Amino acid sequence: MKLNIIVCIKSTVLHASGVNIIRAPELSELNPFDLPVLETALLLKKKLGGSVTALSMGPQEAGASALCEALAMGVDKAVLLCDKALAGSDTLATSTALGAVIAKLDQFDLVLFGTRTCDSDTGHVGPQTATLLDLPFISNVNSIEQIDTGLRIERMLDEYMETYEISPPAALTIHPNSVQPRDISLMGIQEAFEKDKVKTMSLADIGLSPEQVGETGSGTKVLSMKQVSRKRICDFIEGTVEQQSDELLECLKKKGIIG
Amino acid sequence: MDNKITEKKRVLRRRVRDFCEREIVPIAKEIDQEASFPWEVVDKMGKLGYFGIQAPPELGGAGMDTLSYTIVIEEISRACGALGLCTSVHNSVALFPILAFGSDEQKKRWAPSLARGEKIGAFCLTEPNAGSDASGIESTAIRDGDHYVVNANKALVTNGGVADTCLIFTRTDPEAGRRGISVIVVERDTTGFKTGDLENLMGMRANPVASIRLTDCRVPKENLLSKEGMGLKIGLAALDVGRIGIAAQAVGIAQAALEASVHYANQRHQFGVPIANHQAIQFMIADMATEIEASRLLVLQAAKLRDRNKPFSQESAMAKLFATETSSRVTDKAVQIHGGYGYSKSYPVERYYRDARITRIYEGTAEIHRMVIAKGVLQQY
Ligand SMILES: Cc1cc2nc3c(=O)[nH]c(=O)nc-3n(C[C@H](O)[C@H](O)[C@H](O)COP(=O)(O)OP(=O)(O)OC[C@H]3O[C@@H](n4cnc5c(N)ncnc54)[C@H](O)[C@@H]3O)c2cc1C
Repeated sequence: MKLNIIVCIKSTVLHASGVNIIRAPELSELNPFDLPVLETALLLKKKLGGSVTALSMGPQEAGASALCEALAMGVDKAVLLCDKALAGSDTLATSTALGAVIAKLDQFDLVLFGTRTCDSDTGHVGPQTATLLDLPFISNVNSIEQIDTGLRIERMLDEYMETYEISPPAALTIHPNSVQPRDISLMGIQEAFEKDKVKTMSLADIGLSPEQVGETGSGTKVLSMKQVSRKRICDFIEGTVEQQSDELLECLKKKGIIG
Repeated sequence: MDNKITEKKRVLRRRVRDFCEREIVPIAKEIDQEASFPWEVVDKMGKLGYFGIQAPPELGGAGMDTLSYTIVIEEISRACGALGLCTSVHNSVALFPILAFGSDEQKKRWAPSLARGEKIGAFCLTEPNAGSDASGIESTAIRDGDHYVVNANKALVTNGGVADTCLIFTRTDPEAGRRGISVIVVERDTTGFKTGDLENLMGMRANPVASIRLTDCRVPKENLLSKEGMGLKIGLAALDVGRIGIAAQAVGIAQAALEASVHYANQRHQFGVPIANHQAIQFMIADMATEIEASRLLVLQAAKLRDRNKPFSQESAMAKLFATETSSRVTDKAVQIHGGYGYSKSYPVERYYRDARITRIYEGTAEIHRMVIAKGVLQQY
């Protein structure tokens, strides 16, 4: 079975100074949690055949740049949803918009997402989009394998591995540690940026009205954002090396940092 | 369009930096101390296009412009000067002359394996009695039927211990002075090809710099690059390009020294405050950052001129002169900011200091550069 895969990726903001985030390309970077997702899709394509399409919603330059990185990694197609009316979208409005694009794209078997983004960290977009598209959904996926009846999916929980069986179409979020993303070659970068392969779509192209997205289409609104600095305290652990390491282990366990 | 170019450079720098920080930074100290060539990483770099940055895709390269080339070399050098040297020399003075002066046949024969990093290139000009004065070389290549018989004693060859494809500057006409010099490509497996011991260098220690001796090497006449007598022209053209790379290398080393100094100055406390709060340290940091930025802009200017097919020889010489002297000054200050620890191998700045020093000597010393630049400027007004 060949798999046609859509990977949703985001250009994330590196520095934020307040509620009104500036999505300038020089302050943006492809969400690092999306790299293993792209890798997963490319490995599946290599093994089973099919195609990989990267999809991003975002501003023109930063969005296109993230998609070019995906093209440089080896995806076949790149689609950018870009429209002024999308500004201020929360995760619900984002999922509405992504769902509408996905519904417009060619037949697909899998829609893949990162588990979260490094600039907002909600983890909403994957499951919400799956719900809106009425797709079966599994989160934190560690491996995907083809079986006669569909796909066998392993999902990572803290100390457990769950195994599922699904038949496509389905939506998944990919565990960030499931695979080491490939290095991007210079040939890949050169080709991705020289050949204009990013297809841009507007709200009109996907049949949504401005009210369905942006601030009006959002269920939540960010009121304020400020940096909180945590006080750092320095404790000295004394005793022999063994005593010190035992005490350190105990201390880390108590704080829930290690299991 | 301009925005797209800017984005491409940004992504390029970020991705190359990612790779270098993951693969090269962790081994940089060890390969320097052990003077070992990191084949495993070099193989990976080859697959990613780092050995054919500007070679056309149909010959196995990445087909990038000079500006992109300088970004890649700067980033590699920020992690490890010796690998910056390896890639700079390979791309600019070994592979470039083949692409620029080779016949289609020669390009097909040598370029793809070099561009993919499957083979490593070397530029063999310097001899025991010919350094700054390239026209003083004594190597000979005497025509014998369909072959040249090459006898050469080449010194201080970058990549010399590992290079497969070597550009040998030699006299095809011993009577003709400067006009008698030619470039012949000699491969490592040729009978009579011998590498000397690796130089025990002060810096750039992970690069297998060595002498190469050719004794009665019979090389097919098809290995002559361009025509007989073109040697110095090819050499100068290659060095014009090469110097942009060495300048970028110097910027990369200086950048690493600056970053290390900033981290150290923020973390080291003396007299109750981080040393970064002392104006003396701040002024050093300010000068370092300013001079690095100026160097980077000179590199950028030379690269852009070359990309636009404009003359760039003077600008390339200025970039090399300024960036390499900057690199020495900056790495010297970095050691100073680190105090006694800067003189210890516990911190990387002593390596940067050693690595930076040679950039003022190879591919033309600072003195020769000043002569060349002065000649141009004195004719200009
Ligand atoms: C790590 C390393 C890598 C190298 N890689 C290569 C390589 O890949 N290929 C290669 O061919 N060579 C290579 N070299 C050699 C390098 O290019 C030469 O060392 C350099 O060109 C200087 O030549 P020289 O050492 O013979 O010094 P000399 O030419 O003897 O110079 C000695 C001093 O005299 C000065 N001087 C010379 N002539 C004049 C003049 N007319 N006016 C004023 N001052 C003058 C010089 O500036 C210098 O200060 C490498 C060297 C090193 C150390």
